[in-house]
Amino acid sequence: MKEIDARGLACPAPVLHTKATLDQEKPAGVRVLVDNAASQENVKRFLESQGFATVLERSAGDFVVVGRCGAAPAPAGQPAARPAAESNKIMVMCATDRIGFGDDHLGVKLMVNFLRTLKEMGPELWRLVFVNNGVKLAVDGSEVLEELKAYERAGLKILVCGTCLTHFNLLERKQVGETTNMLDIVTAMQLADKVVNL
Amino acid sequence: MCGIHIPTDENVLVGLERADDAGVYRVSATLALIQTVDFFTPVVDDPYWFGQIAAANALSDVYAMGGVPKTAMNLVAFPVKEMDLSILRRIIQGGLDKMSEAGVVLVGGHSIEDKELKYGLAVTGFVHPDRVLTKKNLVPGDRLVLTKPLGTGIINTAVKAGMAPPELAEKVMRLMAALNRKACEAMARFDVHACTDVTGFGLLGHLAEMVSGSGAGVRLFAKQVPVFPEALGYAAMGLIPAGAHKNREFREAMVAFHDAVDRPLRDVLFDPQTSGGLLISVGAAQAGELLKALGDAGVAPSAEIGEVLPGPEEKIRVE
Repeated sequence: MKEIDARGLACPAPVLHTKATLDQEKPAGVRVLVDNAASQENVKRFLESQGFATVLERSAGDFVVVGRCGAAPAPAGQPAARPAAESNKIMVMCATDRIGFGDDHLGVKLMVNFLRTLKEMGPELWRLVFVNNGVKLAVDGSEVLEELKAYERAGLKILVCGTCLTHFNLLERKQVGETTNMLDIVTAMQLADKVVNL
Repeated sequence: MCGIHIPTDENVLVGLERADDAGVYRVSATLALIQTVDFFTPVVDDPYWFGQIAAANALSDVYAMGGVPKTAMNLVAFPVKEMDLSILRRIIQGGLDKMSEAGVVLVGGHSIEDKELKYGLAVTGFVHPDRVLTKKNLVPGDRLVLTKPLGTGIINTAVKAGMAPPELAEKVMRLMAALNRKACEAMARFDVHACTDVTGFGLLGHLAEMVSGSGAGVRLFAKQVPVFPEALGYAAMGLIPAGAHKNREFREAMVAFHDAVDRPLRDVLFDPQTSGGLLISVGAAQAGELLKALGDAGVAPSAEIGEVLPGPEEKIRVE
């Protein structure tokens, strides 16, 4: 894996740096370090335009883009990259961070297990939406963060309610998914073939 | 300015609390002053073009309020020890030529020494107090018209990266230097309810300002928005100014994109513009005639890009 250090450079320099390395060395994989989110996003787009599959990471204050040439082989235990389902689109909406009533401790465990098992739906799983207390599953410290990130990498669109993040003062701590609004959620419900509410 | 008390008086028609394109002060029952100031660091390498663009950009705020610019003052920050004064002369000449095109007279200015070159204008314009156009008057049923194509921020980034051909760079330079004067004159004859100019926040950022507090919503027809096609290609490659990402993060909670609107187009809709076009909200019955008038005045490619809806409030649906 070729490492490119583009920290301290402003847009569009990190993209040009990455392009130069790709042009000259044609590496199968790159790890690009930048120091701001905008450059990270730009390098990700550039690598994807060149046929790389990308993963975004944070490392000690730096922003990292890891790119692998060709379709990325799905890491073990993670859902494989898949085309958007066209036959049956299932939207799962989590309005809570635990399943059911009774024992809260058990409820939390069940939710973690549910989200880990959700990949068994396969390509029909189309949207995963978090609202109200559910947004806490998408912020740092969440037990299922890695699983959710793996879903996102595999192409699942995860929507996280912006009003709810703001309400809980968690906007800065969101780690996965797109910040969304009620109109997006309602539109998704309309387009989905099946909506599962938790 | 949060937390600072700003005194006002009854003749302040548009002040700081409105955060509009310019301030407006009533002098008499038939005359109000429009005042605005804008300056920035070079967006192009050629000093003469930079002067024109900076002037067109500063004058634009007066046009966006529906006014006529009358006088201007130069604002200059110049690294006099490192740069030849002939560069400054070219910049000021560019600004002056743009002012004469606008029928504006230069009445003064101020310059300071600075490590980084900056140029712009403080502009004063006239408007009838009853004809002031602000951002905040969208009426459900209105049509939205944009008078310049988008993508200048992305293309300037590609120019900086050495990846845009010189012909394209020049085309974009001419567009940024084009005054919004004709667009303003054309819209004066119609039932225009609100107007702003598209600059640093990008089309969606400025539209978000218009829709905030309006009690209305907006539907944008993404495919009808005039854009430089090259900008879509550069955006797909990640040649995107940091400002576009900031604009998106700031406003994405107000915007719902249809799945068919692909990522490069979304980036262009958030792309910060320098001296962009006017964004006009006009009564539906007159939208066609306004477009024709803009076309006749040579303001091209203007286009109808969306409509104002009764709701959902403060949301922009991009289709």
